[in-house]
Amino acid sequence: MRSAFQQDLDILEATLQEEGQLVLRALRGAIKALEQRDEELADEVIAFDDDVDQRYVQIEEGIQLLLARQTPVATDLRLVLAILHVNLHLERMADYCVTIAKLTKLVPEVDPGPRFVEGFEEMGSRCEEMIRIALDSFGNRDLEGAESLVELDELIDRANRRVVERILELGGDPEMREYGLRMVIVSRALERIGDHAVDIGEQTAYLLTAEFREFTDASHPSPRKA
Amino acid sequence: MTEGITMTPVIEVAQARKDAEPVQRDIVFDIQKLTASYGKEPAISDVDLEIYRNVITAVIGPSGCGKSTFIRCLNRMNDLVPGAKIDGKILYQGDDLYASGVDPVEVRRRIGMVFQKANPFPKSIYDNVAWGPRVLGMRKDLDERVEKALRGAALWDEVKDRLKKNALSLSGGQQQRLCIARAIAVEPDVLLLDEPASALDPIATSAIEELMDELKRDYTLVIVTHNMQQAARVADMTAFFSLDVDEGRRTGVLVEYDETAKIFTNPSDKRTEDYVTGRFG
Repeated sequence: MRSAFQQDLDILEATLQEEGQLVLRALRGAIKALEQRDEELADEVIAFDDDVDQRYVQIEEGIQLLLARQTPVATDLRLVLAILHVNLHLERMADYCVTIAKLTKLVPEVDPGPRFVEGFEEMGSRCEEMIRIALDSFGNRDLEGAESLVELDELIDRANRRVVERILELGGDPEMREYGLRMVIVSRALERIGDHAVDIGEQTAYLLTAEFREFTDASHPSPRKA
Repeated sequence: MTEGITMTPVIEVAQARKDAEPVQRDIVFDIQKLTASYGKEPAISDVDLEIYRNVITAVIGPSGCGKSTFIRCLNRMNDLVPGAKIDGKILYQGDDLYASGVDPVEVRRRIGMVFQKANPFPKSIYDNVAWGPRVLGMRKDLDERVEKALRGAALWDEVKDRLKKNALSLSGGQQQRLCIARAIAVEPDVLLLDEPASALDPIATSAIEELMDELKRDYTLVIVTHNMQQAARVADMTAFFSLDVDEGRRTGVLVEYDETAKIFTNPSDKRTEDYVTGRFG
């Protein structure tokens, strides 16, 4: 029944997953460019954002058509609404990768030492893991997987705080100070990518339970988080 | 050495599907300044429209706007109505459908019609489908022809073991699909459907809609429907008709004709917008 409609839904979801894979590539590229101070790769990451945006627009247009023509209800409606949100989260993640690439190009030629590289490497791979889990749990309708993102995000938040502490230790050398300022934003971008992965988890939960709920509430932190 | 991040585009399913839609469309009906009147009163006036091959075209609009009159013009069904008159031109495959010398029976073989209420003959399922071919002398391989038509109408599996049963024993939805089988048994080119699902429940409606989607591979379909969502779901092109009221006279006019996606997301005419959003009609 309604095979054209089901096909349209499948295409939307496949395109969303594809967009997610592109975000993973952008993230890996951005972290690598940052670590190796590779401007060429940074430029590639910036240009690559067009590929993500293309999927983003495809999905937006697809949803507009689907809503206008197929009047989805119940699970179908929730799926369409969740895809709409996840699409935006993925697009934002890709924008953060662009931010990291742009900052990579701006930092002076200083060697921050291995402690920094390690910190970003850790944050980068945690982000990667979170994106992968967010995409898989959405695709597999896996509530447990989606909920596990909260704890993973906690680890990124901690890594972010550690990186910021190291930045504070850099001291007053003007070159290092500029580097440090840029890197605070990089660290923040990675931390935000983690937040968006949690938001995707919340969309999975909405899809499965039909309830809107935030996994964590930033304005009312739980004791565990404090 | 930089290891690039650019990837070969993964199968762009959505795009591929979009590209599969025919860009260059063959015109089946070229309708020019069509006015259809019953007696002195025009029911529809000055309709210009092109209908494309292997596409589902929906005709929507409020009651009395001339939707049915319009599609009945396309296979000269209105010839049978006393006092009905046509002005303007309908070119079918480039030929004037109303030229003298055109045989209306042949027109209706090539341009079949399915009505709102399923109207099977009180005969067997088999005889219903075989009736058209028999009348037209297409007697060769009649069994195969009947089976092909029933398969085409997605009814074969449900009736293959009871072809000799009376058609009236079928459910409403099955009767309607039988009427579609009857229409396609004579190998038409176009199928006109006048509210084919309005008397059916949602499941039978869904079956008809699925069927239409399959039929458009082989036929050109024009459907009149009251149900806007049905037009949105099944049609590739949508024509919106409305009523012009002038000195108490009400005439159906074509307001807007475009891709269904456009009609339901961003119509060009305010009247279309009002109708599809439920603010009028």
